[in-house]
Amino acid sequence: MIFMKRIYFDMKIVMVRNIFKILGSSISIFLGIFIWQFLTQNDVNFFLDFSNIPTPFHVLTSFQSVVATKKYWEDIYWSMYRIILSFSLASVVGITIGLLLGYSKIARLIIAPYVELIRPIPAIAWVPISILIWPTTEESIIFITFLGAVFPIILNCWDGVKRVPVELVKAAQSLGAGNLGVLIHVVIPYAIPNIVVGMSVGMGAAWFALLAGEMISGRYGIGYFTWESYQLIQYGNIIVGMLTIGILSSITSGLIYMIKNKFLSWAE
Amino acid sequence: MNDIGNIEIQQLSLGFKSGFDTKIIINDLSLNLKAGSFTSLIGPSGCGKSTLLNAIGGHYKPIYGSIIIDGHEVKSPSADLGIVFQQHTLFPWKTVKENVRFGPMRRGLGRVEADRLADEYIQLVGLSGFKNYYPKMLSGGMQHRVEIARALANKPAVLLMDEPFGALDAQMRASLQDSLLSIWKNTQVTIVFVTHDVNEAIHISEHIVILSRKSKSISEIIDINAIEDSSTESFMRSKKADDLRLHCIEMLSD
Ligand SMILES: Nc1ncnc2c1ncn2[C@@H]1O[C@H](COP(=O)(O)OP(=O)(O)OP(=O)(O)O)[C@@H](O)[C@H]1O
Ligand SMILES: [Mg+2]
Repeated sequence: MIFMKRIYFDMKIVMVRNIFKILGSSISIFLGIFIWQFLTQNDVNFFLDFSNIPTPFHVLTSFQSVVATKKYWEDIYWSMYRIILSFSLASVVGITIGLLLGYSKIARLIIAPYVELIRPIPAIAWVPISILIWPTTEESIIFITFLGAVFPIILNCWDGVKRVPVELVKAAQSLGAGNLGVLIHVVIPYAIPNIVVGMSVGMGAAWFALLAGEMISGRYGIGYFTWESYQLIQYGNIIVGMLTIGILSSITSGLIYMIKNKFLSWAE
Repeated sequence: MNDIGNIEIQQLSLGFKSGFDTKIIINDLSLNLKAGSFTSLIGPSGCGKSTLLNAIGGHYKPIYGSIIIDGHEVKSPSADLGIVFQQHTLFPWKTVKENVRFGPMRRGLGRVEADRLADEYIQLVGLSGFKNYYPKMLSGGMQHRVEIARALANKPAVLLMDEPFGALDAQMRASLQDSLLSIWKNTQVTIVFVTHDVNEAIHISEHIVILSRKSKSISEIIDINAIEDSSTESFMRSKKADDLRLHCIEMLSD
């Protein structure tokens, strides 16, 4: 009985703590919205100009009308399609190249100089060239997004392979594993935590590149939606676009986090 | 069966490159270990026991000389040359069971058969309740036992063990020594066993090879079997065993 009481008491403490946390965060957010309302309602213009920024209420009404349009959902669809396609390509290519770089001396000799050379060029700097190279802007946007994601994945995967302890390789060889067996059972599993880190960083870079690509040369997509809203003076929609982008990129990061948990239960 | 696992070491020199010069660890060592023999390797810390064992396992190339097993020169590691390493080398992403069945599955055994073998050897080292644990969740000594099970489950012709019982308590050590002896008697595997413990060497092996740091080679080979069946209790308590112990300890502190 005392034991039960104890648990009940602990649960109460945890619940109180949680309520406290939620309450605190809510108050902070409401305060932020209140300041936003204050700045925009009074058209504050003191170095920063809030006179053209929509009020929170305005954003809410913009949001309500935008969600009802088909275009908004099409833009989301296009951005997600581009992200998923280019990110998948970047993962496959990045992991393959990363493994090759770490595992094969010849590959390192041939590929490493290119990686070192191209890596410091931000993906956005590729926009003009890629528009020139690819037949349509659609492909060039996907290419740019791919470039954004691929380098963090390559470098992190390579780094992981470099760190594989020689003892583990020796143990696998003494148990009868050949080169392929060592790759599959030792090198890749060992590098997975690093690969996942590369993928998280790569996902951030992919969104960055995608939005730049969509704003500069897109015809659909949530980045284009946001930029178009600016050009059409639909200022409420700018904020709706930004918030949507935030939500979408959280969703994709969440997916990577789920993959990580699935593969890395042994590391906990 | 009886003639698998004959080890011939001929004028072997081993060393590590550091910059331009090579640090010699083993110099001009020759040794013949018959198929099915059980040999302990003792010597002061840093004299090259692990280096020699790794070279027999195919992990280090000789600077000079050769290691020949059943007429073939050892050039690379293989499943026939099983090793229990001094360091922890379990695959952290595999459970105990997955680690132990790794070798049998490389040999092309089906999952069911490999699992059966794994179960058998996990039980042998007393870890049946921990099959689905990851190495991280085991103590250091338990991890060492899994490594022993993993090497045994692969049924190698030669079993190279680098201080396998070093991290275990006296009781577990005694029990695993007995298990190892009975496996050895049943399978005729050739065992090379590195240990710090003179008593252990006398108790479980037929021959003791003492390495010297000064000469970088063998200082003495003791044939215990020529004296008596050393694995018995009575021998371990006899005057002969005492003399042997003293002699070994003397040899170690040269
Ligand atoms: N990978 C390596 N590179 C360079 N030197 C090494 C390497 N491994 C071992 N050595 C050196 O070789 C010598 C012998 O090492 P080894 O591990 O074989 O000794 P050991 O007899 O097994 O010692 P212990 O009983 O402490 O395990 C040591 O001086 C060590 O510094
Ligand atoms: Mg050693």
